[in-house]
Amino acid sequence: MKKILALLALGILIAVLPYFVKISPYILNIFMQAVTYSIAVLGMTVVLGYTGQINLAQATFFGLGAYAVGLGTVDAGLNFWITLALGIAVATISGFILGLTTLRLKGHYLAMITISFQQIFDLVLNNWIDFTHGPDGIASIARPSLFGYTLTDDRSYLLLCALVLYAVIYFVWKLPHTSTGRAMRAIRENELAAEVTGVNSLKVKVIAFTISAGLAGLGGALYAAGFAYISPDNFNFARSVEFLTMVLLGGAQSAFGGVLGTSLLILLPEWLRFLKEVYLAAYGLAVILIMVFLPTGIWGLISSQAAKYRKVPHVDVDGIADLDITVPITDPAPILTLQNVQKHFGGVKAVDGLNIEVARGTVHALIGPNGSGKTTTLNVLSGIYKLSAGKMTFDGHDITDLAPYERAGLGMGRTFQNIRLFPALSVVENVMVGAQRENNPIAPGQAALRERALSALKFVGMAQSAEVIVQNLPYGHQRLVEIARALAGHPKFLLLDEPAAGLNQTEKQELVALLKRLRGHGLTIFLIEHDIGLIEQVSDRITCLNFGKQIAEGEPTHVLRHPDVITAYLGESSHGAA
Amino acid sequence: MANFIVINFQVLFSGLALGSIYALVALGFVLIIRATNVVNFAQGDFAMLGGFSMVAFLGAGAPYWLAILLSLVAMGVFGLIFNLGVYYPLRHRSFLPVIISTLGASIFMQNTVLYFFGPQPRPMEKVFKTSGIEVGGVFMDTQYLTILGVTIIAVAFQYFLFERTLFGKKLQATSQDKDMARLVGIPVATMIAFTFIYSAVLGGVAGILVSPVLFVSIGMGSIIALKAFSATIIGGFGDVTGSIVGALLLGVVESFGAHYISVPYKDAFAFLLLFIFLLLRPQGIFGEKISEKA
Amino acid sequence: MALLELKNVESFYGNVQALKGISMHVNEGEIVTLLGANGAGKSTTLRSISGLLAVARGEILFDSQSVLNIPCEKVVSRGIAHVPEGRRIFPGLTVRENIMIGSSARGNLSRAKLEAEVEEMFEIFPPLERLSKSLGWSLSGGEQQMLAVARGLMSKPKLLLLDEPSLGLAPIIVQQLFATIRKIRDRGMTILLVEQNANMALSVADRGYVLVTGEITVEGTPDQLLNNEEVRSAYLGGGKK
Repeated sequence: MKKILALLALGILIAVLPYFVKISPYILNIFMQAVTYSIAVLGMTVVLGYTGQINLAQATFFGLGAYAVGLGTVDAGLNFWITLALGIAVATISGFILGLTTLRLKGHYLAMITISFQQIFDLVLNNWIDFTHGPDGIASIARPSLFGYTLTDDRSYLLLCALVLYAVIYFVWKLPHTSTGRAMRAIRENELAAEVTGVNSLKVKVIAFTISAGLAGLGGALYAAGFAYISPDNFNFARSVEFLTMVLLGGAQSAFGGVLGTSLLILLPEWLRFLKEVYLAAYGLAVILIMVFLPTGIWGLISSQAAKYRKVPHVDVDGIADLDITVPITDPAPILTLQNVQKHFGGVKAVDGLNIEVARGTVHALIGPNGSGKTTTLNVLSGIYKLSAGKMTFDGHDITDLAPYERAGLGMGRTFQNIRLFPALSVVENVMVGAQRENNPIAPGQAALRERALSALKFVGMAQSAEVIVQNLPYGHQRLVEIARALAGHPKFLLLDEPAAGLNQTEKQELVALLKRLRGHGLTIFLIEHDIGLIEQVSDRITCLNFGKQIAEGEPTHVLRHPDVITAYLGESSHGAA
Repeated sequence: MANFIVINFQVLFSGLALGSIYALVALGFVLIIRATNVVNFAQGDFAMLGGFSMVAFLGAGAPYWLAILLSLVAMGVFGLIFNLGVYYPLRHRSFLPVIISTLGASIFMQNTVLYFFGPQPRPMEKVFKTSGIEVGGVFMDTQYLTILGVTIIAVAFQYFLFERTLFGKKLQATSQDKDMARLVGIPVATMIAFTFIYSAVLGGVAGILVSPVLFVSIGMGSIIALKAFSATIIGGFGDVTGSIVGALLLGVVESFGAHYISVPYKDAFAFLLLFIFLLLRPQGIFGEKISEKA
Repeated sequence: MALLELKNVESFYGNVQALKGISMHVNEGEIVTLLGANGAGKSTTLRSISGLLAVARGEILFDSQSVLNIPCEKVVSRGIAHVPEGRRIFPGLTVRENIMIGSSARGNLSRAKLEAEVEEMFEIFPPLERLSKSLGWSLSGGEQQMLAVARGLMSKPKLLLLDEPSLGLAPIIVQQLFATIRKIRDRGMTILLVEQNANMALSVADRGYVLVTGEITVEGTPDQLLNNEEVRSAYLGGGKK
């Protein structure tokens, strides 16, 4: 808290400096540009830096805010503050609409649609002359009044913009540690894992675009009143690319990085004026160099260097509450049923008519040779693949058409064969995403989420590493964190994909003990495993697949001695020996 | 009635010519995607470089045909530099850094040209001195005819190269499964370098052909590129035939749109069409190839 | 002197150690098989030899020369052909083209020579002849496997690395496939075979190694391995712990 107040004081000091030191109007203009642009760039921090979504239309939203103010005050004679609100509203709604396209589009497609959005805006701005004034632009945009005081003095207007900027910086700075912000970062790190862990990725992406656009609209509105003249040139594709470059140079994942990048790219050309034309070319070269050598930007570089000197905070493991994962079993019906489940890929029947019932509070294993359809089955259960035919019910609900995050919301947890954690997030943040799933029986608020996450970590024995960045952990530990993430959602049901892969004998025995403990608390476990010895120790029931079909089902002793199963694994013997 | 046919044929003809330019750029674009999975946002700037190379060589006094030859060689060199400087260092990274790098390359190319040639658009003479020929009342501009002719030759050449030579098969193998291609002994890095060189030359050809019509300007590449991308998506991302069909379709739609609806907004038709396809049928007319990964 | 020799090879996938010091050899004219459960490191061993995966420590000698960490393309021209897991034939090329492209490491051959060699392949794999103009993706699993082996043979290797050729194939196809593998060996090829189907592999191999979590635990002749409890437990668990 003290740190924030100190920074704010410093910021205000800088903002009122022009009242005490003579600064030319030209320099004041530069700062005004830096401040208003920074607000827009902070929008990029949210959508690109935090959520990992490419947005090449930021100048459009900036322009919507600017033109709302320009047209509103000059043509319609409205009060600045009303037009400001209008501009932000229009930009926000447009951002919302663009965000909806992420339902269908990612990657290059998303980039393309944002570009076309931008280009259409540019065309309309230039050609709908009756409304927008076309290439002439809008001049004589007046400064606003605040408390009866008109802010014609550049210094006072700059002070206003600076205060707005500080508020925005605070908001963007705090965002990553809210549930939404954490969900955004999870999506950036691994969207599939985020979905399966319970994040409604469409909703979060739309929120990201909406916030991004709203901030750009705010920046644009302030820009318009600041500079008194706006024209279509200011809000085209080149400007969007500029915003992108600014956020990348400074460091996309940090609020401070965004401001740093913007300031550098606006102030530098002024200092390097004599190199102006070459500078523009170097600008493009710089983008390539940044991507090759400095992908996390300048701030990213600074903070990763600083992190080396920071000690990992000590975690008081004993002080953490024990994890409550008990699942009361009141319903005798099976928790999961698969009825004639089929999944085809083109002509290939990966899964061909599965009928399985999984009883509550049991461990059910799925075995079979490579390529028999086990992972496909698990992906169908998670909702990653849509069924080709058949039906699935979970805990009384028909889940056949539910999205992965909805299944997580019903109490299904999952781990992956090649661990899918959120690499750049800390251990505890990874687990907190799991605790954020819908319908998790937990108190509201960040403190409760953190407590739950720490408890889950304590349960698997990883609490002391809570603040370590997850990609720095050794493999076996990452496995445990993934399990903790699933447990933090207080699941009824766990889907485990080869949980013993890569573990040594000791670790495998610990895993067996863990699974038995979980079962003892009432969880149902469904796992794929190749280590038959481990399966024998821990399973209540086994289903064996081969070529997508069920070839055996029942108790371990029965299934593992079944001739079809032995053949499937060891192969047909051509010598007659077996 | 005859007038109606004549006018529409005229519009169709110019639409096809325009679409051919987009097709040439789109072809290069798709080849790079198929070989490397990279979406090259600087593809259009190869056209711009082609135009300016011509301006430079013609300005130095070279006869037209020599200027073309030299420009094509220059484009090959630019393609190689692009491969080494932009693609190669980032070849193992995810799509976002690569897209952004190609954007950076685009800015770099445009501003370097700006530095040397200044901001004024330059006119360029047509290939043939005669301005056009008239057939049945329809006036066909010789430059447009040249564009169509060259595009047909380029497409035929590409077909021949890819479908009928072993080298072309090696290129195809590289784009279908890069690691397997290496395991079979194909020099994958060389194949990719060739792809960039070839795509740059295709782009350059498009630029040389369209310059007499549009003037040579710094920004000419960006707009063509966006249309070419749209064409690729409309035709089916990653599909060669699809991108040609998409490009021609786009050119024709634009031409008719400009004639019947509005000239200033003609660019918007491309984007609207793109918007619609992205939302309703992102896999385009011909759908995505099996080898494409999502 | 063994044709292929691995000494204490260690490989990693990121943080995970996949091979923990593998030492083995293959003599000229032998079929040697690598057995083990999923995830034991069999495919990893082949990928370390062919250059798809970097080796952290150890040595790999082929024909007395080191092939450690040299680019894939060079490994092929030294005489090692890797037919990878999942076949990976080029889906958009025809059967004939897939076969011809297998010769890429041998430089430019005349059209006539290539055609002749393709005919040779059809003799070894008769079912492929009628599919000569079919596109790769349209072939069945067994046909694709044959094609992948034919393509591998086109580089005229001294050593053929076969990775799980029986994967996903019906038993009768597997029988035919292994008969062909025997035929190839009889023509003078040395083969290193990775297989999950232990019985089938041991029916053609001269020797075998068993891998468990990145280490070799047993080696021997097929007779020795077939009656070995450790082999059984490597695949089907102990039955008792």
